Amino acid sequence: MTRRVPPGLIWVAPAMVVLAALSIYPLLYLVKVSISDARGFTLAHYARLFQDRLFMVAAGQTLLYALAALALEFFFGLALALLVDSLAHGRALVRVSLLAPMLLPPVVAAVIWRLIYNPEFGVLNGMLRQLGFHTQSLTWTSGRNSAMLSVILVDVWQWTPFMFLLLTAGLQAIPSEPLEAARVDGAGYWRTLRDVVLPLLKPTILLALLLRSMDLLRIFDQIFILTQGGPGSATETVSLYIYRTAFRFSNFGYAAAMSFVGLVITTLAARSLMRLIKTS
Amino acid sequence: MRVLLSVALALLMGCSRSGSKKTLTIAVNAGVEGSALKAAAHEWGELRDTRIEVVELPYANLFEKESLDLESRTGAYDVIMMDDPWFPKLAADSGLTPLPRPPDADFLGSTLAVCRDAGTFYALPYVGNSQLFFYRKDLFEKYKLSAPGQWKKVLEAARTIGAGEKMYGYVMRAAPGNSAVTDFMPLLWAFGGDIFDPQGKPSLTSPEAIEALRFMLELGKVSPPGYAGFNADEVSAHLLQGTAAMSINWPAWIAAMDDPLKSKIPGKIEFAQMPSARLPGVAELGSWLLAVPAASPHRDAAFDFIYWATDAPQLTEAALRGNPPTRRSVFLAPDLLKKFRAFPAQLAALEGARPRPRTKQWNEIENAFGVALSQANSGAISPEAAMQQANNEIAAILERSK
Repeated sequence: MTRRVPPGLIWVAPAMVVLAALSIYPLLYLVKVSISDARGFTLAHYARLFQDRLFMVAAGQTLLYALAALALEFFFGLALALLVDSLAHGRALVRVSLLAPMLLPPVVAAVIWRLIYNPEFGVLNGMLRQLGFHTQSLTWTSGRNSAMLSVILVDVWQWTPFMFLLLTAGLQAIPSEPLEAARVDGAGYWRTLRDVVLPLLKPTILLALLLRSMDLLRIFDQIFILTQGGPGSATETVSLYIYRTAFRFSNFGYAAAMSFVGLVITTLAARSLMRLIKTS
Repeated sequence: MRVLLSVALALLMGCSRSGSKKTLTIAVNAGVEGSALKAAAHEWGELRDTRIEVVELPYANLFEKESLDLESRTGAYDVIMMDDPWFPKLAADSGLTPLPRPPDADFLGSTLAVCRDAGTFYALPYVGNSQLFFYRKDLFEKYKLSAPGQWKKVLEAARTIGAGEKMYGYVMRAAPGNSAVTDFMPLLWAFGGDIFDPQGKPSLTSPEAIEALRFMLELGKVSPPGYAGFNADEVSAHLLQGTAAMSINWPAWIAAMDDPLKSKIPGKIEFAQMPSARLPGVAELGSWLLAVPAASPHRDAAFDFIYWATDAPQLTEAALRGNPPTRRSVFLAPDLLKKFRAFPAQLAALEGARPRPRTKQWNEIENAFGVALSQANSGAISPEAAMQQANNEIAAILERSK
């Protein structure tokens, strides 16, 4: 008697092969590289992680960058979505023009902002000087205290439209009945927003936060162009450090260990957010 | 019908001939150095009836691609162009093919020294880069200042010009990594310090090294704000815009300084040797080399190309395309001397230039050292703390590599 192959398996087999080749095998290979060196099996790369001052600094800064950018992008994205949603005319035009920064490749956006931030020749300080401000101390990406804020602002400028886009879609999906019922019950704008709109928007908000936080935790290109992690290590992030360790210092074992730890942290954060989405 | 058959036959022969053509793949730096080599490669390809494939990569990616190719012996490149500090890493573990014959005596000694590992030559020098000191000759004359031969005088001149002209007296780059280290090395050497002691241990906590960093911070006070994040393009932009009076710079920027389309002060910058302090001034070497990977499938053709490209007539062509030569005879050629006013200064700097420490771990050491220097320049830590931090991290890197 021959066993029949379930028909569904045949249909998913190509996808499983692609998944195995592009995700599972590289992941297993990453783990293998992270626990081996020229002499064989070792956990030295993982042990080094906890003694590596620069890795700790980079991890802390990555978290700071992600949290600050996420909070600002959510706040501005929601505010813009509510504002545009309340417009009687020209919604489509405003929506399209707000999306422009998101359409630029991150590297191009970073190069533009590098020119804008230049303390001497940049348009930002130039405008401030025209308005009568003293710009001597405004060194933006080159300043010890202002570098992190400057790179966060670039991210906020580029990715707030993404938040806006998702939240706008969420707002448009809210049925009109609960809103009309709230109005009939005499609820004002803020009360309706707090008790009706935001609870109904919660799944969209969580999805937007999930997508952005995963992206933010692996930030690389903008910082690479804007500051290369400097001045000093003021804007060093984990991805930048991993890149340098692998491709500049040729230490693939340690880079693999850092990548694996980063992957675990990102997966845990994503899982908690996804659980929240499910329960909401 | 006969005509049609003839055309078809001709096409077929053409196809088979081009199909049998050898292809030489060359990895080059995206920039002026690489452009000249690219043009030379196509000329050589025509001469030898060889197809040329040029892989042009930005500086940051060139090393990683070459390093991966050499380590995994893929044979993706037949010729690689490399910055001289990469040589110890790329030549390690027999990644490069030894030269079939030694380079001739016309090459400058400093550029040849970085092509050798344990007495064997693995590369030929193609671009003769070493730092020069750029300064505004017109302003030095205006304020009756003597040419900047001493670092102390440089600082005084920077203060005088800065105050008199409402501009920055000096400009330097102190972004982490290569930028900060490159601008600091001439100071470190002139003040009598070094990264390693004669036993090969890190020696950045020496009084001389700390004094050199303190002096760098003094120069920072007469530099534009934000210099702790500057790279080469910002430094040159200040010189070209006439907003800074002096800097350490590389020969690649000389042409721009004299070009009225790029510079607001064409012809006013003079090029000099590195200033001295306790010891005579020394420039850092930054030559570009050509080598043949061990896994190259076309080694004979690759060697034929690199010997041809580094011969005097080709280096003359390369000089006309903007590359400083590595041969004395090309530097001294009367036609080129008339055309390139900085050649005598470049030759003198190159003859005495010092390479970065020859170690496989240089990229990692430079990164750790550069972060500490950049932190000190941004005011995050003191010079003593920066040097202590760099010293500890370099010691840890060396320990790990054992």
